Amino acid sequence: MSFFGRIWRALREISGRASRRLSRRAGFWRYLRYAVLAAALLAAGFTLYLDFRVRSEFEGRRFALPARIYSRPLELHAGLRISQASIVDELRQAGYREGQREGESGWFARSGDGLEIALRPFVFWDGPQPALRLRVAIENGVAASVRDAQGKDLPLVRLEPLPIGGIYPANNQDRVLVRLGEVPKHLVQALLATEDRNFYSHHGFDPRGIARSVVNFFRGRGLQGGSTLTQQLVKNFFLTPERTVQRKVTELIMAMLLELHYDKSEILETYLNEIYFGQDRDRAVHGIGLAALHYFGKTVEHLTLAESALLVGMVKGPGLYDPYRHPQRALERRNLILRETRGLGYATMEQYASARGTGLGLNPKASMGTSPHPAFLELVHRQLRRDYDEADLRSEGLRVFTTLDPRVQGAAERVLERKLAQYDKEKRFGPPGLEGAIVVTGSQNGEVQAVVGGRDVRYRGFNRALDAARPVGSLLKPVVYLTALAEPSRYTLVTPIEDGPFVWKSRGAPDWEPQNYDRAFHGAVQLRTALAQSYNVATARLGTEIGVERVLATVKRLGVERPLKPYAATLLGAVELSPFEVTQMYQTIASAGFRAPLRAIREVTAQDGRPLKPYPLEVEQAFAAEPAYLLTAALQGVVREGTAQSLHQWLPPEAAVAGKTGTTDEQRDAWFAGFTGDRLAVVWIGYDDNRAAKLSGAATALPLWGELMAALGAEPLAPPRPDGIESVLIDPQSGLRADVLCPGAVELPFARGSAPVERAPCASALGVAVEEVKQQAKSWFERLFGR
Amino acid sequence: MRFLLAVIAIMGGCATVQPPAPVSEPVPPPAPAPSTTNAAVASLVTSARADAAAGRLVQAAASLERGLRIEPRNPHLWQELARVRMKQGDYAQVESVAARSNSWAGGDNRLRAENWRLIAQAREARGDAAGARAALEAADRQR
Repeated sequence: MSFFGRIWRALREISGRASRRLSRRAGFWRYLRYAVLAAALLAAGFTLYLDFRVRSEFEGRRFALPARIYSRPLELHAGLRISQASIVDELRQAGYREGQREGESGWFARSGDGLEIALRPFVFWDGPQPALRLRVAIENGVAASVRDAQGKDLPLVRLEPLPIGGIYPANNQDRVLVRLGEVPKHLVQALLATEDRNFYSHHGFDPRGIARSVVNFFRGRGLQGGSTLTQQLVKNFFLTPERTVQRKVTELIMAMLLELHYDKSEILETYLNEIYFGQDRDRAVHGIGLAALHYFGKTVEHLTLAESALLVGMVKGPGLYDPYRHPQRALERRNLILRETRGLGYATMEQYASARGTGLGLNPKASMGTSPHPAFLELVHRQLRRDYDEADLRSEGLRVFTTLDPRVQGAAERVLERKLAQYDKEKRFGPPGLEGAIVVTGSQNGEVQAVVGGRDVRYRGFNRALDAARPVGSLLKPVVYLTALAEPSRYTLVTPIEDGPFVWKSRGAPDWEPQNYDRAFHGAVQLRTALAQSYNVATARLGTEIGVERVLATVKRLGVERPLKPYAATLLGAVELSPFEVTQMYQTIASAGFRAPLRAIREVTAQDGRPLKPYPLEVEQAFAAEPAYLLTAALQGVVREGTAQSLHQWLPPEAAVAGKTGTTDEQRDAWFAGFTGDRLAVVWIGYDDNRAAKLSGAATALPLWGELMAALGAEPLAPPRPDGIESVLIDPQSGLRADVLCPGAVELPFARGSAPVERAPCASALGVAVEEVKQQAKSWFERLFGR
Repeated sequence: MRFLLAVIAIMGGCATVQPPAPVSEPVPPPAPAPSTTNAAVASLVTSARADAAAGRLVQAAASLERGLRIEPRNPHLWQELARVRMKQGDYAQVESVAARSNSWAGGDNRLRAENWRLIAQAREARGDAAGARAALEAADRQR
């Protein structure tokens, strides 16, 4: 408009000066001539300007396509632990429907414990997978076989990954582009019958339509209707939605110019991709391609006449005729469209009658907005931003394949919602309610399977999993013990640590005098017991013995990048970390000292399917295998006999879970971090405003963790025993070497040669003899079998 | 009598105090058959090898990662991944991934020796001659 405005101002100035000069001669005719000339110039200039805009923008215009984000695909194979229900759940979320439909894909049917699935074709990052019929037999919670329709065994089949959101242009417009050739003829016919009957004959505007519009205008109904598809396109494409005469004129000229430069099919195709089909929460559904997927869960070429008519009916008022909110109104509108289509001879009486007779047939899929899992999506977005421009993410139509496991994410969301509601009720605290966050990863590869950023799991706001930096309390203790155990000549699992009065003096700082949770001292305790019972005083003494700096170096090697203050209080967790950072720290412990950066992305492809920068699995050995193994054994002790014993309510002792509770001053933060053979999860609970929650990690975060892991099914934790580790029988009371005759002797791992030599009182001469004979027999066996 | 007691104790001890079972993989069938009993993993290894031979290294690594999601404790998969990283010239990862393979290798000395040779090769490529020698010696010790 600035161009138009400038010309207009210039002309007013010229005509103003001219009229002043001419007024004395009263040259009215001459003035008129100037005026006409000026108007003609103005119109010509304006038209040229519009022509420039139409051509440059229409030509250069590509639809901004959001980056589309997918979950991990479920990979089915014989031997997979899985239930029929969880496959069905995932298929439903992907928009599959129950019940056989021959000749179609996108359905499943149950047969006993098994399933028949008609997979839709899907383009994975490494190429397309065609439509496929599958039979999955499930026995006792395990996939017994996966076969194709001919009964041939399939080694491995990927199900379609779930779309879990996108990174959208500023206005949250979402669309799936289609070519005109893919759009069914009956859809185009219904559209033209309803919106623009003379589309193929007019030149951008329809005089009859305009006449009707003008009549309406003078009847006082404002400017409305009568727009051709071309005009509608111009309006959506170039103009603002205000309704003024000036805008209407501009629209008209631009529509004619568009028709001048482009043929009907180009205009129609652009129209079909541009048109607005309503709102899915905060996401705007644009284009027929996305509308078909959103409302009917199918690609555009499979739309029936009735479905096409419903969508065409929505063009006039997507909110008014929203079939989810106003099904009756949408149905009536659809039938009106069908009648008009039939009236113009585009449908036979039979087709019309059968289409009219069908229900709305809407996709039952729950709405997802820009994402059903905004906290996870935000992590993906941040990781993408390291490699891509924000503008490209929002417009280039990238496809991003992530590590999100829908089953894990769903379970984590449900358990957080339920438990926090339960705690709120028990505590009767009233608003603001407790908050929480969960991060779950694959313990061996660092893939992030779930992120929950708060109890309102659909809320795109403060992401506590990533951004809430909270004191970690006792969750830091394992780092102290890991640092100690890396020195087997000084520290083993049974090294006595004095848990007695302790004061730490340092220059320029007040004395530090840590207390135990129970306000008591426990005397000399074994190192493993100090961790299992989470004794603060013993840990402080141990940590200062090793040196705070060395402990902090360990934190860094475990993968925490945030710099931490080298204060003694740091040893007891007076440092603030996010649940995500804590997860990274524990990930390195869970995978035997091999650090793998937490990843939310597996692959990214360009819009055309070309793979872009890969996000491979990377591991780095941060610690020798031996101390990592010893620490894991100690953390298993925390669950077996320490502060996390209550976990046995949810997981059997055979699961051999390793974990650590954490509670901070005045119980502001409750934590639990732990891992099984296949997963690591970190749970945080507290108040956003940092008030005392009066909740301990063991009482709140732990049950949540236990319920989650029990729901997911835990693989037992059995880390590989490194070469440099030997098992030695220990008398638990004295921490000295025991023998088989010692009652209650336990077998503990030690770095080779570091186990205590001294015999416990219970060890008898006989026991020693037995022990020696056994050792000899063992080494004889080892020699014999080379193992 | 004492001797009898000792024998009983030995037998009892043998029955009850087993060393904690390390995760040991079954002895592998001779290469190049994929060392797994899982058909899905076997098919992934086969396609990874084909991709690696054809120079499609990103795809090869991705297939092995898929295999590792199914069998994270299979040291043979980790070793295959180390080989692909070698072809990709990512020597730091060769060392780490081969070490990861070793951590799951249990008593499979042949596999361990091969991992050490890969580590030696990677160190050699990075110009660490002394490190490479040490790795080769470690390979020789695995028998």
